[in-house]
Amino acid sequence: MTPNGAIVFGLLVIGGAVVARDLPSLAIVLALALIFGLGSGRRIVMALGWSIAIVAPLAGFMGLVWVGIVGGAPDEIGAGTEGSRAAAAAYVALISLRLFAIAFVVQATFLRFADMTPLQFVRRLSMPALAKKLVVLTLSLIETILYAIDRARTALIAAGIVTRRPSPRNLRNGWLLVQTVWLTVVTIAIGRTRDKWPTEETLALIDGTLADATPRRLTAIDVAWMVVALGSLALAVGMR
Amino acid sequence: MARAFVAGPNFSGRSAHLMARLRGRAPGAAFFIGPYAEAALSGLSSTVSDEIEIYRAGSRPTRPVFSPIDFAAYAARKPPTLSGGEQVLLALHCFSLSRYRTIGIDTALEQLDPANRAQALAYLSQDEAQGFDVELIDNRPVSGWPTITLPGSGDFACDLAAATATLQNRAAPTITIERLSFRYSKSRDIFTGAKLTLAPGCAYRLTGPNGAGKTTLFKLLAGVLAPSSGTLALDGAPYAPWRAGNRLFAFATQNPDHQWCGTTLGEDATRRRKALARHGIVAPTDTAIAALAACLGAPSLDAHLYELPLAARKRLSWLWPLSGTLPWIMLDEPTVGQDIAIRAAMAAAIARVCACGHGVMFVTHDEEFATLIEHRVLRLENGTITA
Repeated sequence: MTPNGAIVFGLLVIGGAVVARDLPSLAIVLALALIFGLGSGRRIVMALGWSIAIVAPLAGFMGLVWVGIVGGAPDEIGAGTEGSRAAAAAYVALISLRLFAIAFVVQATFLRFADMTPLQFVRRLSMPALAKKLVVLTLSLIETILYAIDRARTALIAAGIVTRRPSPRNLRNGWLLVQTVWLTVVTIAIGRTRDKWPTEETLALIDGTLADATPRRLTAIDVAWMVVALGSLALAVGMR
Repeated sequence: MARAFVAGPNFSGRSAHLMARLRGRAPGAAFFIGPYAEAALSGLSSTVSDEIEIYRAGSRPTRPVFSPIDFAAYAARKPPTLSGGEQVLLALHCFSLSRYRTIGIDTALEQLDPANRAQALAYLSQDEAQGFDVELIDNRPVSGWPTITLPGSGDFACDLAAATATLQNRAAPTITIERLSFRYSKSRDIFTGAKLTLAPGCAYRLTGPNGAGKTTLFKLLAGVLAPSSGTLALDGAPYAPWRAGNRLFAFATQNPDHQWCGTTLGEDATRRRKALARHGIVAPTDTAIAALAACLGAPSLDAHLYELPLAARKRLSWLWPLSGTLPWIMLDEPTVGQDIAIRAAMAAAIARVCACGHGVMFVTHDEEFATLIEHRVLRLENGTITA
């Protein structure tokens, strides 16, 4: 499968998850995402774990509000009918599964290429050079922020301002972490853009690195997955 | 092809001189390795292999490849997770694979252990044979290189003797480390059952090759990292800084910008003071901090830290260790970027801190600096610490 094919497939599945209005149609989309994810082998377990971790807090909160407190679904409230906890639970399940499907398919798409480095993945994408460069710069910014978080956390923990584990002190001083992270990001960015990049013309250098000599057309596997994804999207629309 | 060694004291304009010389060449002709990672690596790669790929000129290198460590073993690592020395080695490796005809290095070689530094200098000395130019700033002697010496400016005058003159005597606790084990996620073991006893009033130098875990040990002792197993004790009483917070070590990091807790020194001091108060530790007043900062060359507590030169920030990173607030101090490569005069003064300051009953742990690859300090060696290798 090519990166472009996987991304188009992922977008179609996300589209299917967004338009699915009931649990059966969402189940079809979710099943497709899970089958696609199986192609990533054992890594699928980690993707499932992360997706659950992302969705669980929201599902818990929504369950508390809609099932526990409101006791009815939004549709019932809008129609002015008497609400039921079963309908509220179905509503919470639909929203949570939709988010789960999206979180999962995004991971499954990239896990297909887990053997590639981020630069190799971007190189194999069929898109204009400028767009590839923007993707690399975006990844660079993400890495910089992650590094800055680690660096700022180290400074604040060593000084005793925040703790390693969750604590009331962290709640009080969390804004200091945010401030330190952004200060770090700005400092790193200035360091690069003032000295390293202009001297080396590093950004021009990556043009050659990102250029892919062999044009990557969609493969038969890409098309097959895209057709199946389109089918599930059509089904989700048709079942509305 | 030529090489040049840019010499001079701190604040003599060496970095500006180097940048001017590099930019005087054709655009994109020079490779640059700055003092710290942000200016040593491209910042465009998520893995070591990507970093190498960005600079690789083609399938066949145009000159001998500088490869003192096996970078294939580091391929999947994120570049910022490498140690400072490893990052410099990676940058040199990338240069050796690239088409750049000039390389400028601003004090980065000071982060290398003696063996790697010797290899790096030997490689860079092949300038004529391999057809590249080298512009090097370094605070340690480099023999046999044509030298350009710049005069000092006298800015940011630093008086370490005055900074430590008012240190009070205190009895720092003995630290006992038992069965300490640690590994980073998806990485090799850094420590496996390490044992160690650290007595106050002594200076301990951690030695070991780049990436042996010297900075990691500091982070464990400061509570930034938690060991996978093992215990710490202070005078026999259990101590777990990774749970209760650090109340033992004042930590000066290798890159000073890794330790600031505010945008100004005053803001940094206020925040640290509050944190120390939770442990019942009384920190120096603003007046005392301002006096100490002045000894270290700070124009005022209100100066924005990032508006000061890197070498000046490095000196200010010693403020808390030299304030005597905490019983033990940790100095990670204190002399990186510092000229000869400051290195001698720093050695005397460490002796003074020890004489007052504090304990000192330090890391340096500067052998000359180490010989100026009476110390005990702790060798880190293969997951153990040998006294």
